[in-house]
Amino acid sequence: MKFTIQRDVFVQNIQHVSKAISSRATLPILTGIKIVAFDDGITLTGSDSDISIEAFIPAEDGDNSNVDIERPGAVVLQAKYFADIIKKLPESTVELTLNDQMVTKIRSGSSEFNLNGQDPDDFPRLPEVEEGSQFTLKTDLLKALIKQTAFAVSTAETRPILTGIHWGMESEKLMCTATDSHRLAMREAGVEESGDVEFTNVVIPGKSLTELSKILDDSEETVDVTVTDNQVLFKATNLLFLSRLLDGNYPATKNMIPSQSKTNIQVPAKQLMAAIERALLLSDGKNNVVNLKSLNENELEITSVTPEVGKVTESVSCDAFEGEELRISFNGKNIIDALRVIESQDVAIQFTGAMSPFIMRPADRDYMLHLFSPVRTY
Amino acid sequence: MQTWSELSETQPTIARVLQNSVRRGRLAHAYLFEGGRGTGRRAAALLLARAFLCEKTVDAEPCLVCRECRRAESGNHPDVHRIQPDGQTIKVDQIRALKKEFSMRGMESAKKVYIIEETETMSAAAANSLLKFLEEPEGEALAVLITASAGQILPTILSRAQVMSFSPLPPDRVTKALVERGFREKEARTAASLTSDLEEAERMFDEEWISQGREKVVQLMNDLISRPQDAYITVHETIMPFFTDRQQIQTALDLMMIWYRDVLRMQVGQSDAVVYIDQEDTLTKQAFQLSQQKLGKNLQAVMDAKRRAGANVPPQLLVEQLLLRLQEGS
Amino acid sequence: MAGRIVMHVDMNSFYASVESADDPALQGKPLAIAGNAKKRKGIVVTASYEARRKGVKPPQPLWEAKKTCPDLLVREPRFDRYREISRQMFQLLLEYTPLVEPVSIDEGYLDMTTAGIRAPDIAASIQKRIMEELKLPCSIGVAPNKFLAKTASDMKKPLGITVLRKRDTKTLLWPLPCREMHGIGGKTAEKLARHHLHTIGDIAAADPDFLERVFGVSGRRMYERAHGNDDRPVDPEAAEQFKSVGHSRTLPKDASATEDILPVLKEMAYSLEKRMKKKHVYASGVQLTIRYADWTTVQRSARLQEPSSGWEPFYQMGRLLWEDYWSGAPVRLIGITGIDLVERGQAQKQLNLFSYKEDQETYEKEKLLNELNRQLGEGAVRRGYFKDSGYQ
Repeated sequence: MKFTIQRDVFVQNIQHVSKAISSRATLPILTGIKIVAFDDGITLTGSDSDISIEAFIPAEDGDNSNVDIERPGAVVLQAKYFADIIKKLPESTVELTLNDQMVTKIRSGSSEFNLNGQDPDDFPRLPEVEEGSQFTLKTDLLKALIKQTAFAVSTAETRPILTGIHWGMESEKLMCTATDSHRLAMREAGVEESGDVEFTNVVIPGKSLTELSKILDDSEETVDVTVTDNQVLFKATNLLFLSRLLDGNYPATKNMIPSQSKTNIQVPAKQLMAAIERALLLSDGKNNVVNLKSLNENELEITSVTPEVGKVTESVSCDAFEGEELRISFNGKNIIDALRVIESQDVAIQFTGAMSPFIMRPADRDYMLHLFSPVRTY
Repeated sequence: MQTWSELSETQPTIARVLQNSVRRGRLAHAYLFEGGRGTGRRAAALLLARAFLCEKTVDAEPCLVCRECRRAESGNHPDVHRIQPDGQTIKVDQIRALKKEFSMRGMESAKKVYIIEETETMSAAAANSLLKFLEEPEGEALAVLITASAGQILPTILSRAQVMSFSPLPPDRVTKALVERGFREKEARTAASLTSDLEEAERMFDEEWISQGREKVVQLMNDLISRPQDAYITVHETIMPFFTDRQQIQTALDLMMIWYRDVLRMQVGQSDAVVYIDQEDTLTKQAFQLSQQKLGKNLQAVMDAKRRAGANVPPQLLVEQLLLRLQEGS
Repeated sequence: MAGRIVMHVDMNSFYASVESADDPALQGKPLAIAGNAKKRKGIVVTASYEARRKGVKPPQPLWEAKKTCPDLLVREPRFDRYREISRQMFQLLLEYTPLVEPVSIDEGYLDMTTAGIRAPDIAASIQKRIMEELKLPCSIGVAPNKFLAKTASDMKKPLGITVLRKRDTKTLLWPLPCREMHGIGGKTAEKLARHHLHTIGDIAAADPDFLERVFGVSGRRMYERAHGNDDRPVDPEAAEQFKSVGHSRTLPKDASATEDILPVLKEMAYSLEKRMKKKHVYASGVQLTIRYADWTTVQRSARLQEPSSGWEPFYQMGRLLWEDYWSGAPVRLIGITGIDLVERGQAQKQLNLFSYKEDQETYEKEKLLNELNRQLGEGAVRRGYFKDSGYQ
């Protein structure tokens, strides 16, 4: 392997893939960045085994020449040293040469480093994108899907499958679901370029998707998604993001959504959020319990009591109210979390009694749904 | 030891059972490899992992050269998870990482291997989370738990794992292994006759302990016959200062017992089985000088001394009394 | 109960005082403790005397407080710190007598009967030491019983010491409006007013049987208090009992196997359930005590998913703790305790989306039961009948 590369492009891409590298790697090989030189460009790969990031630097990028590849080849170099070395080299170009003993010579101007490498064959084999098994999502939609569900995943170790977001695709509709068993967030999206892909029980760690969301560049228009047996792949122009999937069966959630309701209200999202936020000010952060009571057709009362501290009473006017009188307690923080990702002005809430889960969704959209369990006092 | 045929040299039953299971694709989800150090449990676990993962097996023998085989050994296989005690015990963090791994699908395939060393150092909580995994194995997972003794493992775990008991190594295997590690044969034979535990045997070579101890006992055994009047001095100036604690006195007595057994072997014409291979001349001489009856008495005297050593008799007194009995008329 | 001396120690605007003690820059300045101080929409939980003097009246929205007192300084509450200081404060009180009954984070009763006429001097010493050692002001009431002691500590704030004798009730208490009596809230005061009882003196002059008919047990209590009577003892364990209920057992012989422990644990969990149901409390957590044969003792606790009084969660959690923390050494004593108790009606549980139907059922059952109890309990005539016949 031998190539000469623009240093700034190199540094930028090394930073991208370094995001996947953990300082506490379990496999020795995963402390490294895998570098592969092809005829048409270079790939860099980093992985902590949960997520992997692969960046492609094309030899030619429009009118720019990024890399001049003399000899293809591959090596794995210690990420810690390699990244620092490249960052601090003096010139605008860097030359990498690999000899037979996996020693890599790094040259830039008057500097020369020799870095011991590891066998690229030892690096984990990542699944490849197969034509015909992928579907395409708009980047902003993908980010919205993640933002609107990832907050609801469980952080407890007791039921690991719930730390993931369930993805299912059926008839060109992608359904994302997350729950920590006290609240549930569902977001549906139509997928135009679905490539006839259908699947269920694909459970992606919430953490992986949050990381993906951070890494995805807003300038990217679309992302191709491929689901394999063990991993899910997200492919942007020159970036490939992979995450391992969670093992096990995700619980059935569709039948959890109540089909009937006893009380339906519609309230301005901002006012509701502000009222609950204030009601939670005095809470000591244990249960975040907030009580909701209908005063009359136009007014709701929100209260919260914390022993030793005091009581807060808030009133919220509602735009619409129908059905039975209402008196219910719930975890206010969960409602706030959901309200933060609902972009509509008004929310519709459907209650089915004080001891039943209730639904909240944007008043003007039906692609999103949030389900909450009430709090019982006994 | 990298193949089933090599394993079958020392552990024939285990090699046969495991190889057959791989061949028929009928591996259990969990195995417990039980046995002393040096019996090949770890090597067998690696062998099993390779046979399980290798895609180019021939008659269940792993090819040893493919990516799977190489990475299983180098510790770079992403779907082979090894846990060994971090210090004294397996720590909570290690178990947390293991539990997280249980919840994920494999990195490259559905096949995952867990190798847990010194399983007995896991806390009950750790063992229980392992148990949950053993109860509902999803995907193709293989767990190998390694321990010195199955008696120290929770019964609930034992009942869910197939137990493979590794037999202690015969002395000539230990000798061979020691010689392969670069130790001299005369001392290797001596160490191997004292323990079947390879690692313990190796430790005897620390600071040349075994070779010094051996020389001192040989000198005493020689003096007893050739210069009986000096034997008492040898005990005080050579033996006692070297074999200081109770454990070491026991070893000294063992070395004496082995000596008399060697003399006996000379008498019955089994000269190729002796342990003190460099002392053939002295042994032969003593084989003529000592009657079989006296030899029997001497062996009995050493055995009595060993028993008394276990019962808190002061070492000094013990060895002096033994000396008197050994010097009684032939 | 004649001749008792009870003190009530009441920390003055405790949270604000702790903040000033920790940050001298706040001393003597108008200070408010409010949640979400930065966002300005917080609520003032408590305020220093300087702030109160300038018109700050907690609980009150922060923006309002700022309007009446523009130079108001604001801090967010640090409950952990307050709990720690509270612990130190009670530790100090315990140096004077073991008979200390904590009432809340910032107040407690002391039985100082043995101090006799030195009681006011001791009160002064307590006040001085709390000021010097913790840099916190407090007010102390000295009286023959709890009610009068609490009333007394309220009379002079901050840094007051007030001695209230029973004979002072007529002059000091009777002219006050009913609402000033501890234990009388707004609703009760309104109800009293409807019966033309406006001052504590009115209550003292009322017919105690009439009060009992209208207000139940608390009617009788009001009457007694108005006359300066209160025979509740200072009970150091009142708070303690409330915080935990536990059992422990010394094993007939040292146990070295989980199988020997679990049955004992289960049995103790059963009796824990019984005791907690009797006390009408739920535990939010479980603590396991293991004492080894060499007398080293470990205590480990864990929170329950929800407050509970059932043996099963206690046993399961106890078992998990045992599995996590037992060292394997022989065990001499094993104990299990329900901790962080909450009273019935105060326990809260966020239902599980996957299993809420079970809760629905218990809820419906309890509702029915309560309804029945209420209806049956209201049959006052019947109850009176039994009472008069001497069946009770």
